[in-house]
Amino acid sequence: MNGSLSQRIYLFTLSCCVLFATLLGSVIWSSHSVELAFARDNYAQQVDNQTNSLKQLIISDNIYASNYSVNHWQSLQQKLARLLNSPPKLSPSQQTVQNSIKSQNENLKRLFSQITKNKLKNASAAIKVHLKARLMMQLEAIRSDSLQLSSIAHTDIYNTIKHEAFFIISVSAASIVALLFGSFSLMHIVRKSLDEVKRAFKQNHSGHFQKIHLSHPSEEFDSIVKAFNGMNEKLSETTVSLAVMKKVVEERTHVLEQLSNTDPLTKVANRRALFERADMEFSRAVRGKNQLTLLLLDCDLFKAINDEFGHLIGDELLIHICDVCREEIRDIDFLARYGGEEFIIVLPSCDTLGGIETANRIQSSLAKHSVTVEDKQINVTLSIGVSMFSEWHESLDQLINDADKAMYQAKEKGRNRIEVLTRKNLH
Amino acid sequence: MNKKALHFSVLTFVICVGIIVSYVKYQSFWQSPKHAVTIAVSKTPLSTPFYVAKAIGAFDKTCVQVKFSEVVGGQKAFSEVMSGKADFGTSSDSVIAFQSLANKDFVTHAMFVQSDNDVKLITHPSAQINSAADLKGKRIGVTKGTASEYFLSTLLALEGLTTEDVLLHHFKPDELINGYSQHEVDAIVPWEPFAFNSAQLLDKDIKIHDTKSLNTLSFNLLSLKADKIVVEKAKCIIEGLAVAIDYIASHPEKAKKVVIDELQLSSEFIEWVWPDYIFKLSLNQSLILSLKSQVIWAVATQMTEHAELPSVENFIDSRAMLQVDPGAVNIPL
Repeated sequence: MNGSLSQRIYLFTLSCCVLFATLLGSVIWSSHSVELAFARDNYAQQVDNQTNSLKQLIISDNIYASNYSVNHWQSLQQKLARLLNSPPKLSPSQQTVQNSIKSQNENLKRLFSQITKNKLKNASAAIKVHLKARLMMQLEAIRSDSLQLSSIAHTDIYNTIKHEAFFIISVSAASIVALLFGSFSLMHIVRKSLDEVKRAFKQNHSGHFQKIHLSHPSEEFDSIVKAFNGMNEKLSETTVSLAVMKKVVEERTHVLEQLSNTDPLTKVANRRALFERADMEFSRAVRGKNQLTLLLLDCDLFKAINDEFGHLIGDELLIHICDVCREEIRDIDFLARYGGEEFIIVLPSCDTLGGIETANRIQSSLAKHSVTVEDKQINVTLSIGVSMFSEWHESLDQLINDADKAMYQAKEKGRNRIEVLTRKNLH
Repeated sequence: MNKKALHFSVLTFVICVGIIVSYVKYQSFWQSPKHAVTIAVSKTPLSTPFYVAKAIGAFDKTCVQVKFSEVVGGQKAFSEVMSGKADFGTSSDSVIAFQSLANKDFVTHAMFVQSDNDVKLITHPSAQINSAADLKGKRIGVTKGTASEYFLSTLLALEGLTTEDVLLHHFKPDELINGYSQHEVDAIVPWEPFAFNSAQLLDKDIKIHDTKSLNTLSFNLLSLKADKIVVEKAKCIIEGLAVAIDYIASHPEKAKKVVIDELQLSSEFIEWVWPDYIFKLSLNQSLILSLKSQVIWAVATQMTEHAELPSVENFIDSRAMLQVDPGAVNIPL
């Protein structure tokens, strides 16, 4: 059934009204039945009372007395006859008893008139007693029947109330079951549909634009689903997912970071990256009392080469120097362009001797690998200053400064040399 | 409604129908076994409830499987019960009263019909009997120890006569008419259907006196002194009778047809006696009073050799009736 929820609620309400009307109808019907049964009981009681009056008369009066007047009997008899002729509406079983009462009363009247016709002048005392007993018997038969009438009425009342109670309980139980079933099924449909819509929103949040398919279609939710599915269709066409966007941003950021830390010509770390890394290594050395050595390399006579071969060749030369340095240093060492034709190599966990050794390796390699330009071999050399971190160094700048001084000493002493700045040299 | 709910509803419906069908079909499995009983039924329209019960199958739903032994007169039915040929019998209150004087070992379970005009006085017109007073010195045919004898004695007493003032001739109920037609007697006191048969046979040579209401006759279900099983059987018979009596009240014409076919009677006869009958189950004080008055009367008029008055209450057993229709029982326990 693909009706609307409101239709279901209307149907539900209508069913409740029908059930209520049925209950009301049955209560009215049973109250009528009980009322009728009470009327029958009342009738039976009156017959009983009237019969008792007649019995009392037979017991107390001497009906065989010569001066006995039948008027009293007749007036009581007429009352009983009138009563018997105007009974309430009786049930078939009560009608049988009623017929019996009427017949017994006819017998009673005939017997009484026979007895009183000639006062039984010739009859013996025995027959008089016997006939009086017969009169009593007839009255007793009427009384027994009236008691039976009353008993049937009581049974009817009891049965009517019992049936009504059973009916009310049954209808109420059925109503409660239907009510629970109806409300649970409505709740289930609403909850399930809401869950499906909620799940779809969640999926939207994570970038999965899927259509909602309701497991319990209903007009109300169908309209929401239709709007949602339409919106989702448009969104899926125009929206880039957050994850893709994040990945693009990360890639771009990485490239930008690389660009900002790299020297565009030599592709080694630039001055900014150098200070960032060197600062970190310096702090680590201070903190952990580790060794740290810097090499400051300067290309000898670079200006002359530029002038002779041009800037492009100069640039090639710088790239060549960087390539050689990269080959000769450890993985943990850090090469950066300090400026112009100057480079710095940071050597963590390395003493002066280690620094000299590295510097030697670089120089030897550079000597072996010259740069060929227009069939001419260009040999390039480096003046290298070495400074090792010591307790006197309070900052990185001091350490660089010492390396710089050592490098100048190398220049002063004829270039293509390695000089170490020691405290002794300083003072 | 989704499919699951529809399936559930269909399944529930099928289970309910299955339970109802198997209940109806296998109902007999958990019903207690039926008792086979023989009932000596007096061949008179007064036994209508029995014939109707059998015709409409009213006993089928009770715990008894009934077989009828049809007899002529309540006294014969009584002797069948006493001799053990039948488990139950149908007899008039007069038979019960006379037999209680003999202190026989029996009980009455229920009264199922009453008639105020069953026993009649029939006289030869030539005997010129116009009232009970004219019966003095006449030959009268009666059935000894029955309502017939009792009724005659009360009729005589109304005029200060006794059975000694007349010449009593005792006949079996179905032989009364022969005695009458052969002029062995001047008058007979038969019950139905013999009164009607006499009227049919001897159309002109008959005078039926109006004695309606002077005698009330009831027919009752009786058995030997009852143990628990007999009471159970009596209960089941009474249940069947109750169904039959309701049927008689609601379908009188069909009930009449049953009796006509069963007793091979004419519809005229049934129409004649039917208004006098009251079919109703009861066991009340009026039966006790009736028995008492008849017993006292029988002793006082020396209709019986027994002089000691029995306690008639001892011959009433209300246990079965109380189980079927307690409202119809009105006797001091």
